[in-house]
Amino acid sequence: MVVGKIISIFDISVEVVLSDDTVKIGDILTVSDDKGYSFEVVSINNVSATCISLGSTRGLKKGSEVVKLSNGIEIEYSDQILGRVFDSYGAPIDGNPIESAGKRNINSGTVSLKDVDVNADILWTGIKVIDFFAPLQKGFRMGLLGGAGVGKTVLIKELIHNVYASINAHAVFVGAGERSREGKELYEEMKESNLLDNMTMVFGQMGDNPVSRSKAVYAGLTLAEYLRNEKKQDVLLFIDNIYRFMQAKSEIATELKQLLIENGYPADMAAEISKVEERISSTDDGSITSFQAIYIPADDYNDEAVQTITSYMDGQIVLDRKVAELGLYPAIDVFKSTSKMVDIEKIGEKHFNLIEEVLRYLTRYQELEEIIAILGIEELSEEDKNIFYRSRKLKYYFSQPMFVAEAFTNIPGQFVKIEDVLIDVENILNGTYDNVDESKFLFIGKYHE
Amino acid sequence: MDDMWTSNLNETIDSIKNNDNVYNTGKVIKVNDYNIEVAGLNDVSFYEEVNVSDKASGYVFGIYADRVIVALVKINEEIQPGDMVYALKKEFKCLFSLDSIGKVIDVFGNDLIAGKKFDNLVELSVENRPLPIMDRGIVKREMLTGITGIDLLYPIGKGQRQLIIGDKKTGKTQICLDTIVNQKDKNVLCIYVAIGKTKKEVKDIYYELTRRGAASYTIVVASFHDELPTRTYLTPYVALSIAESFMLQSYDVLVCLDDLKRHADIYRQISLASKKTPGRDAYPSDIFYTHSRLLEKGCQHKDGGSITILPLVETKAGDITDYISTNIISICDGQIVLSAKNFAKGEKPAIDYGLSVSRLGGNVQDDIMKKVGSKVRIELLSYLDVRQIYELANIDEMSEDLQRRLREGKKIVESLSQYKFSPLSKQEMIDKFKFLEEKEK
Repeated sequence: MVVGKIISIFDISVEVVLSDDTVKIGDILTVSDDKGYSFEVVSINNVSATCISLGSTRGLKKGSEVVKLSNGIEIEYSDQILGRVFDSYGAPIDGNPIESAGKRNINSGTVSLKDVDVNADILWTGIKVIDFFAPLQKGFRMGLLGGAGVGKTVLIKELIHNVYASINAHAVFVGAGERSREGKELYEEMKESNLLDNMTMVFGQMGDNPVSRSKAVYAGLTLAEYLRNEKKQDVLLFIDNIYRFMQAKSEIATELKQLLIENGYPADMAAEISKVEERISSTDDGSITSFQAIYIPADDYNDEAVQTITSYMDGQIVLDRKVAELGLYPAIDVFKSTSKMVDIEKIGEKHFNLIEEVLRYLTRYQELEEIIAILGIEELSEEDKNIFYRSRKLKYYFSQPMFVAEAFTNIPGQFVKIEDVLIDVENILNGTYDNVDESKFLFIGKYHE
Repeated sequence: MDDMWTSNLNETIDSIKNNDNVYNTGKVIKVNDYNIEVAGLNDVSFYEEVNVSDKASGYVFGIYADRVIVALVKINEEIQPGDMVYALKKEFKCLFSLDSIGKVIDVFGNDLIAGKKFDNLVELSVENRPLPIMDRGIVKREMLTGITGIDLLYPIGKGQRQLIIGDKKTGKTQICLDTIVNQKDKNVLCIYVAIGKTKKEVKDIYYELTRRGAASYTIVVASFHDELPTRTYLTPYVALSIAESFMLQSYDVLVCLDDLKRHADIYRQISLASKKTPGRDAYPSDIFYTHSRLLEKGCQHKDGGSITILPLVETKAGDITDYISTNIISICDGQIVLSAKNFAKGEKPAIDYGLSVSRLGGNVQDDIMKKVGSKVRIELLSYLDVRQIYELANIDEMSEDLQRRLREGKKIVESLSQYKFSPLSKQEMIDKFKFLEEKEK
């Protein structure tokens, strides 16, 4: 049934004069004689509806009649999602159709305070810096922050390798606004290593329009909720990249001529983020542990969107360009990386004290670097010399060969147990390894025998 | 103004009475620099091509209830309010000729050196839909530049997007030219896209390529700042459409975009003129999408063809963390950072090895290049770190190991120096670093 006519088109924003009063916000409309175009209604008044186009509007004609297609974007909600790849609008894109019709709206509800579950086991990742400085628990929301090109995606892939592959959990991967090449590579790698069976992927990549890039996150959440609520599973949710979601939202807000806050973000940013993050919660049915890459635009850590997103994180790993410049990967800024687990009651006295001691050493190291730049090493006191050389060893030790970077570095990856990390760190700090050359600590797993 | 509306309306009513096709025509009601507002055109579609009498042509850029915005790409004569506007009932397209290889062209089918239009032109969409993820292949074939510091340490693969970024006069364009020249007899079609360069620069580049025998497989697509900004804005998209049409016929294509900072500025100019709300640094919010959808055209197609893109970005004072630079870094598969300091020191190409990255790295190298490359890279980076810290220390008091690292590091840096247009083969690169292996024995 025809519900209206198009009167205005500007990029992705389309206005429809309504001839029918049943149209609601969230409805999907399409052009009656060309189903290639579809739009989501974002606001209505008594004569017209403002919509955002799900695809390109090129060739869309003024005056075209539109019909209602559905009540919103829907995605498969059954066992059939496992091992499959979807686009942001819920359509499978791996070439095979889906038989059943068990679909659900991607904007379905949030978790109430009553149902949120906060108790869980520790989850070791086998990555030295993460386990040491920012250990995590099942059900955590872990943010991986970094500017452009410092290694967020490699770290996400290493986590998929170490956590998903080793505990054989169910997983959902959401590619939002990232590179299509990486999406395809991940798919091929999962398929080759037979890990695709318990994984579902959703892609709305950076070549797609902002509507697609933002909807990918909702679609992925719906799939994760299915695995948690219906399959009663512990779910791993990887989102690469949640910042792109917010970025897409600001593009849409601009197109809709909304008034924006600083740096062009929409004014309702906190609400938009909250609607996403609050859905990523654990309940009695199962947990959702999420790893979310967070891009830092213009290396501006204080960016409004970045800060809003990180306030929902239980832990964060911050990647630093200065460390990457030295070729030390994962290039983690140990001063900014932490988690809610860093608590004497949760990780024990030994681990906690070691973190404090390491941070003390590295802080002093930074000061010493400045002194050395002027006076040279020879002028340092014996104690400072020890701190200086041991800190360099620590910095080198916290680099790690990664499984997923093996083709790049030519060094086989290493999974390191936390017990080993604690022993090595203690030995470096107490001087046991003072006679070992620092380069021996570069790109290794554990050091002690 | 009211008079004009009434007269417009009366004329329209007359035309309807006469059974003219009023839905495809309109009248200019406002003239800006490079866009016009039109009343009428009631049946027009988004991105449709339109003519303003014989005075100008352009495409539909925005449709509102009472008017249509037309972006102009060509103006032959001054436009006046009241001029008739005709919609051409087809999508706005650009023109391309297969004879373009070896020529300097614009995106409207003109041979700029000969100063005339090509004869056998085909229409080309400004932009096609993004290539679906599942139609992409894995990037794993090497695209050799002949430059040791790139091929060995930060290699580029066919289908990769590798950013080249640095200040003015640090050799960015030179790396593109070196790469193009090195594709001789390698069955790669090269497209050099000049965005807002000067005419003199473009002619120099064209002669340089011709002199080195590279023109026979290269197309130079140029747009200049004294043209309409819409043309400059469209140029890289059309260049990628050209590349795409070759890729789909299984060709390997190399596209150099020189440079995207200028493109971003042109887009900002157009956006602000169309009253889009500015965001960070006054760029519109969709500046990321502007470049991401362009650079996502770079890929390895599952059926064999590929598009490799080398976008260039000019920085100020070596700062690669500004908005546009980080946007493009985050889209690309790696970056070659050029440093003005290295350039001044005579280390050419002036690559900053610490800040440069290739996300594909060893995946596109053969085993021996991978092995030597990763060894050299680790040694080099650790040398650059150590060099800084021990600058003031007495070398004789250092440990044997440290002395060796400093000695070898210096030799590595020297071995990476290379003069322009003097490409090396893989074997020559490997031979340069024989000394690192000898020590191991």
